[in-house]
Amino acid sequence: MIWYKAWLETRWIFGLFVGLIVFVWLTPLWMPLFGLWLHPGIPASRIWMAIHLGSVFTSFFVANSLAGSGVNSQTAYSPAPGNDGSMLFTLSLPVSRRRLLFVRAGLGALLTNVLIAVMAGYTLSQRPEGANPLQAIEYLARAIVCTMAVYSLSVLISCLLATMWQLYAGIFFWMMVLVLQLKIGFVAWLSPLRGMTLISYPLTAPFPWAPIVASLVFAGICLCASVLVLQRKEY
Amino acid sequence: MNEMIIAADGLSKSYDGKPALKSLHLEVPRGSICGFLGRNGAGKTTTLKLLLGMLRRDAGSIRLFGEPVDSEASSIAARRRLGFVSEDKDLYAFMNVDQTIRFTRAFFPAWRRDLEERYLDLFQLPRKKAVPKLSKGMRTQLMLLLAMARGAELLIMDEPTSGLDPAMTEDVLQILADLAASDGTTVFFSSHQLAEVEQICDRVCIIDRGQAVIDGELDDLKADYRRVLLVFEGTPPRELASLPGIDHLSQRGRTASLLAHGNVEALVDRARELGPISVEVRSVTLKELFLDHVRGE
Amino acid sequence: MNLRINFASGVPIYRQLMEQIKHAVETGAIRSSEQLPTIRKIAEELAMNPNTVARAYRELEHEGFIEVRHGSGAYVAERGASSAKAAGIRKAGEVLRPAMERGLALGLSEEELRRVFEDELARLQDGGTAERRRN
Repeated sequence: MIWYKAWLETRWIFGLFVGLIVFVWLTPLWMPLFGLWLHPGIPASRIWMAIHLGSVFTSFFVANSLAGSGVNSQTAYSPAPGNDGSMLFTLSLPVSRRRLLFVRAGLGALLTNVLIAVMAGYTLSQRPEGANPLQAIEYLARAIVCTMAVYSLSVLISCLLATMWQLYAGIFFWMMVLVLQLKIGFVAWLSPLRGMTLISYPLTAPFPWAPIVASLVFAGICLCASVLVLQRKEY
Repeated sequence: MNEMIIAADGLSKSYDGKPALKSLHLEVPRGSICGFLGRNGAGKTTTLKLLLGMLRRDAGSIRLFGEPVDSEASSIAARRRLGFVSEDKDLYAFMNVDQTIRFTRAFFPAWRRDLEERYLDLFQLPRKKAVPKLSKGMRTQLMLLLAMARGAELLIMDEPTSGLDPAMTEDVLQILADLAASDGTTVFFSSHQLAEVEQICDRVCIIDRGQAVIDGELDDLKADYRRVLLVFEGTPPRELASLPGIDHLSQRGRTASLLAHGNVEALVDRARELGPISVEVRSVTLKELFLDHVRGE
Repeated sequence: MNLRINFASGVPIYRQLMEQIKHAVETGAIRSSEQLPTIRKIAEELAMNPNTVARAYRELEHEGFIEVRHGSGAYVAERGASSAKAAGIRKAGEVLRPAMERGLALGLSEEELRRVFEDELARLQDGGTAERRRN
């Protein structure tokens, strides 16, 4: 039943992104209707870069939007000031906070990865030079693991802050990382953002082990921290 | 010997350095319906949240069903056997009545389908209506249904009848009376409605500024406490305050009003020695007991 | 049996219930050897606490007014016990009535008379305990 609740919490956001992605895919179809065309002079590689970056950008937002702790449920009707929403109801049930977290974060991660996979499939199919299965697998693995770093942080944020601030806090954090990685080589070496956006790979650059490992470690830390925060939190 | 379903001792809790509960002692025996009274901010909701494990106590011990509750695992074990109604009656906005019931039902193997049907019918809750579209009264009724239909041994409720009209309130009180009579369900609820508490409770606990000031069987309290009214020729003498057994003393003009318990006769004899022109002894209502213990002093 | 409890009264509820049941018997609403409603039924109908109802029944049984038979419920006890009490009550009423009439003749209102009565009752405690007045 916790899965059911998590699904009810996430389905609309998930649906929104599905709609968004389909909309973007159908661009070649509807753009001409509005008298819009892509400038014919743009090289195909640039177009592909745009598609690639676009899907990275989207997965960043998907990761920040689908993350949840399972305890802070949104209440659509305006809660009275100081009102905690339905958290008290959830916490009065015989379920551990850890289980609530794992199920909700797990489902969010699953849905996020589904969208990532779908977008990756599309992006790869649009690559002018094509992509062999190995490249595809490596592209996908990179996309999923590094996005999970972003996702896990968002889960941790959802345990700490009200839902409203989740997205903004996530954006803020990763912008800081972006700024740092432009200045500090070490940060760039580990950065999941680099792992997600890497264009020179596949095949033209070595496999980015550093961001992948760093992402896994970071995700693990965020998850443990989330559990600890939830255990200690008072409602 | 009656088993204590709820037993809290020395319970203390502070928020940001400000104490909300100071060494609270609370006992609720099995099968009792206990009313928890107190002014706003006295610590009622804090106490209930501590019992449910939503807050961590600073000091003291809590036992539910005779077992200590000091970890999440023990709290979860207790939650399997109890039902809770929160102060704000908030449920999931993304579910409707039916989904909420099915969701909750899944956690309680002892769920009573017959009671669920009966309460749905009694409260006239529309199954397919989304929770945000329910009125406050209906949300309260839904939350009550979820707590009362799960076959729980204990119900812990924060203002269960707030927002309900008198007819609905009577329905709820009848259900509670029936659950207590047929299943021996213990009920512990906070309320501002003194009339309801007097009607349904056999025990009462009054909390003021974080401490229990009254805790006992309601009938015994009414038998033990008396209001003694003394009228004097002039201002009532200061010695009145030092008489034994006085819980509360107030004066207006030449009349002194004492709230006394215990050996009231002895007190009255001592009071007569101070030379009042008239002595009157009356019984007290719960309202008087409450107001005299939570206002001023 | 038409029971009416004043929950806000200072009189303990179980006492009120006891009085009402006794009254029901004295007026013939329940006959000797008739079964009394179950504790559960009274609690549910009046939306009151079953423990309180149980206490009233226990006290009534203790006084010999009712008897509880295993498995079949509570019944009004044989006429002997109840009629003795009823007779006592009637006698007390007869004794008190002239005194009350005199009080009213002195110009006292009902409220004043009641207060005098309680005052005098309190005065009568020499050596007696609080229980007597409470009972």
